[in-house]
Amino acid sequence: MKPAKFDYVLPATLDAAIEALVASNGEGKVLAGGQSLLPLLNFRMARPAVLVDLNGIKGLSYIEERGDRIAIGALTRHRDLEHSPLVASRLPVMSAAMRHVAHLAIRNRGTIGGSLSHADPAAELPMLSAFYDARISVQGPAGRRTIAAEEFFVDALTNCLEPSEIVVEIEFPVLDHDGWAFEEVARRFGDFALASIAVSVRRAQSGLKDARIAVMGVADTPLRLREAEQELVAMELNDRTPDRFSEIVVSKVSPNDDLHASAAYRRHLLAQLSRRALKTALAATERAP
Amino acid sequence: MSSDRRAQSSDVLRPKNVGAPIKRTEDPRLLTGNGEYTADRKPDRPLHLAFLRSGQPHARIARINAEAARLAPGVMAVLTAEDIADDFKPVIPFSRIPNYYATPIMPLASKKVRYVGEPVVAVVATSRYLAEDALELIEVGYDPLGAIARAEMAVADDAPLLHEEAGSNILIAREFKKGDVAADLKAAAVRVSGRFEMTRKAPLAMEPRSYTAEYESRRDAVTLYTSSNIPGIVRDAISESLSLPGHRLRVVAPDVGGSFGSKGSLYPEELFICIAARKLRRSIKWTADRLEDVSSSSQAFAEIVDAEMGFDANGVATSLQADVLGDVGAFSIYPWTCGLEPVQVVSFLPGPYKIGSYRGAVRGVATCKPPTGPYRGVGRPISTFVAERLMDLGAKALGIDPLEIRRRNLVRPDEFPYRIASGIIWDKTGFIECLNAAAETAGYEQLRKEQAEARKQGRLFGIGIASYAELTGIGSRIAVAPGMPINTGSETAKITIDSTGAITAAFGVASHGQGLETTLAQIVADDLGTRFEDVRVIQGDSDEVPMSTGTYASRSAVLGGGAAKHASKILQEKIKRVASHLLEANADDIEVAEGKAIVLGTDRAVSFRQIAKAVYSDMKTLPVEAREELTATYTYDPINGTTAAATHIAAVEIDPATCFVKILKFVVAEDCGRIINPMIVDGQVHGGVAQGIGAALFEELIYDDDGQLLSASLVDYVIPSAPEVPLMDVIHVESESAVAGGFRGMGEGGTIGAPAAIANAIADALSPLDIDVSILPMTPERIFKLMEQAKLNQEEKADE
Repeated sequence: MKPAKFDYVLPATLDAAIEALVASNGEGKVLAGGQSLLPLLNFRMARPAVLVDLNGIKGLSYIEERGDRIAIGALTRHRDLEHSPLVASRLPVMSAAMRHVAHLAIRNRGTIGGSLSHADPAAELPMLSAFYDARISVQGPAGRRTIAAEEFFVDALTNCLEPSEIVVEIEFPVLDHDGWAFEEVARRFGDFALASIAVSVRRAQSGLKDARIAVMGVADTPLRLREAEQELVAMELNDRTPDRFSEIVVSKVSPNDDLHASAAYRRHLLAQLSRRALKTALAATERAP
Repeated sequence: MSSDRRAQSSDVLRPKNVGAPIKRTEDPRLLTGNGEYTADRKPDRPLHLAFLRSGQPHARIARINAEAARLAPGVMAVLTAEDIADDFKPVIPFSRIPNYYATPIMPLASKKVRYVGEPVVAVVATSRYLAEDALELIEVGYDPLGAIARAEMAVADDAPLLHEEAGSNILIAREFKKGDVAADLKAAAVRVSGRFEMTRKAPLAMEPRSYTAEYESRRDAVTLYTSSNIPGIVRDAISESLSLPGHRLRVVAPDVGGSFGSKGSLYPEELFICIAARKLRRSIKWTADRLEDVSSSSQAFAEIVDAEMGFDANGVATSLQADVLGDVGAFSIYPWTCGLEPVQVVSFLPGPYKIGSYRGAVRGVATCKPPTGPYRGVGRPISTFVAERLMDLGAKALGIDPLEIRRRNLVRPDEFPYRIASGIIWDKTGFIECLNAAAETAGYEQLRKEQAEARKQGRLFGIGIASYAELTGIGSRIAVAPGMPINTGSETAKITIDSTGAITAAFGVASHGQGLETTLAQIVADDLGTRFEDVRVIQGDSDEVPMSTGTYASRSAVLGGGAAKHASKILQEKIKRVASHLLEANADDIEVAEGKAIVLGTDRAVSFRQIAKAVYSDMKTLPVEAREELTATYTYDPINGTTAAATHIAAVEIDPATCFVKILKFVVAEDCGRIINPMIVDGQVHGGVAQGIGAALFEELIYDDDGQLLSASLVDYVIPSAPEVPLMDVIHVESESAVAGGFRGMGEGGTIGAPAAIANAIADALSPLDIDVSILPMTPERIFKLMEQAKLNQEEKADE
């Protein structure tokens, strides 16, 4: 289990990194935290001719408040997000989810840019980026562009990046919500999610005026459930709401059977988590000023 | 908790080291990265080995084209079965028992492949990277012969034969019988039955298998460093296979990072690396990567058991019958044979219970998977699972409490030695004592009250009990594996005081994590009369003792410890004889303690160092005939061996939302005889239970119908991690055994009791839904499906 031969470059600037990728003629691969890439290399499932290591580039690791947005540098480690007071106060759903991201050793090395680029459908950060409507800034030989999170994830382990493009920054809008919840079930703490849901709501005089729902582990990409959001907002709030909500959420997904769980079990889990998440979110709105 | 249960007599006689919770002397080096594992060996300019493994489950090898690989950078040799055909004799896992076909151990697949992962071609290169690069250049043409992915497929009429020479896919068949089972079942007040299964499991040692063959061209000799727990057996087998005498083939197991049985057989790669080292006249290294280890090291369980138990109206089990179908994989392992795991299921099925009549039949069938082999508990995790499920089913049918039904069936203290229906004899052991101690510590009655309360709230709360007994420290009268021609009944200790007065105790047993360096030194220190820290223990080196088989089957404390006690006593007598000259006292008046010989009741003493000097270095102090070499060798054979037993009690709650099982309480009360080191005993129990939790709830090697392993990485093969293992209470019922030292083996028990206790607890939790537990692991997915089915059944009932 040794990787096939590759060249390794450690550029000092983003431009040099992009140049190296261009020079590789599509045979290059970007190394950030390496937590997903290195196993792929060792299994020889990925065989890049050139490994472009971003860890020599300064200024790609930061968490900054920019008005009503939080900007996060692509090389920011999971551990920094987990412990950031800014993330805790401004992006509480992300903060709650970070402790579910793998294990400590992986969180120490893994980066947000790497996690999004890897596009695992059962990983927290891709799901959170869909939940928050994050904008993903990428840079390539043609310059910089910004991609909406939902467009970024194309398929399982597939993103929409052009060859030679690198994720450089992710901007998360600070949400105006009165209540939220993040729920996840994994086989063991830190494993990939069997099912997970994030919910946030804004309370109106009667009922809700806004809702956000994202799920993962139940499709080839993380899903933002926009129809379910509208249906939730249209709902009358009563004791039966969580049950009806859970039916709606489950009706929007069609998971596959795999080694870890059958489709039926994943739907069951998602139903349970949906109910629990909405209850938590609604309960929080009661306490909201 | 343990101290108040120790036998009074042993308290009085308890020596100072045996029984003390001494910290393991291995740990400082292992925990600071100063251990030396096989992969840490640094021979001169070693070559590295990589194996091209079969991607086919069952196919004829039509052609192998390795020309490009031979020309690749760094490649020294590319070897196929044909290239090495004249360099060895196949190793045959022979057994005298009838209805057994011994598949030969071949270092590389010859003519056909029989499982995905079987080594086919080997590349020897200057680095592992280059060797793996060259593997990609090798083309193997296969003619598929049809996969046999499951045991049921192997016994189908139209199944292809995996070993044509065997004439059948049934590699072993056996039956045990006592009494008239059919009549007793017919007469039984209650009969309970089921089809039980434990799926395939990986032993999964932290250190993958690893071999370094160090070649000495000066005398065409090989030193094989191997991550083995049977270095002596490996030495003897390779010596025979390569026609290389033992003084030109040394086999050493250095620090070994766990085995759980997976390093307890001779492996094709182990044989191959010695062949290649001699052929190329170079030292060669190989360490399995995790994928190779999971997909080619011997595996565990994989049995389906159809079983039935009959009870009289008082809840006394009168009869038991079982048919075991074991999926033994593609080959027999050496030396234990493919019968090891499945035959032990029927040998141990009656367990610690007095069941009148018994019929146990077993078939071990060949499938396109890696061989099953020894795994911590061998056969008994599943025999205990089946027997304990049947006990609970019987209790339920008769309306008797599960604790009470076990009290009525366990062999009682006045009934030992007791021959169970399968023929195994239990010597006096605390069966009932363990049951009572576990129930008391678990607060069994209180737990039942909590359960009643929980059920009122609709919670799924369950309590499970499992009692078992096992044979440990087996002597020469019983073969560890059925009909096997190797002597597994003795072990040797050689204790030497050298000219500096230093004490070295050499053993053939080989620790792979048990802490034998510590426990054997504790025994030697007490019986020789020296300080614990002054005893150096050498183990796992075939040059140190003439013959040894190694560490397996919970034998090293009993056999190694027994040999240590005897050799220590012999050496102590020599010390006394020399000291009597030096101190001018009668040998009978001399006591040996703290590394000194002392004239009783005086302050006259000589140290071991002074004694050694007198014996070895000084020409005048002693008469020539009194200069006896300060060494003693003793080979100990306990003849029969000794029983170990335990009761495990688990309390679990199942979350209906996630179908996850949470273990709320876990209690083990075990009898391992006199305890050498309570910390090590507790550690063995904790580790064994953790593995048992893996078997009960998590671990499963999943093969598809084409014989491909789907759970081949630690992402997909799920093992319990720290949060999944609860704190547990361990109680020691220390009834001394009859063997030297009063020890019993205890390295495997945790893994034997835990799956059954957890299975019973889950079944108990789910009993309001009328759900039964008959397969392990009980994954959330399986619990979900059972609960869904139960819902459907209830709806159907309601409709009727």
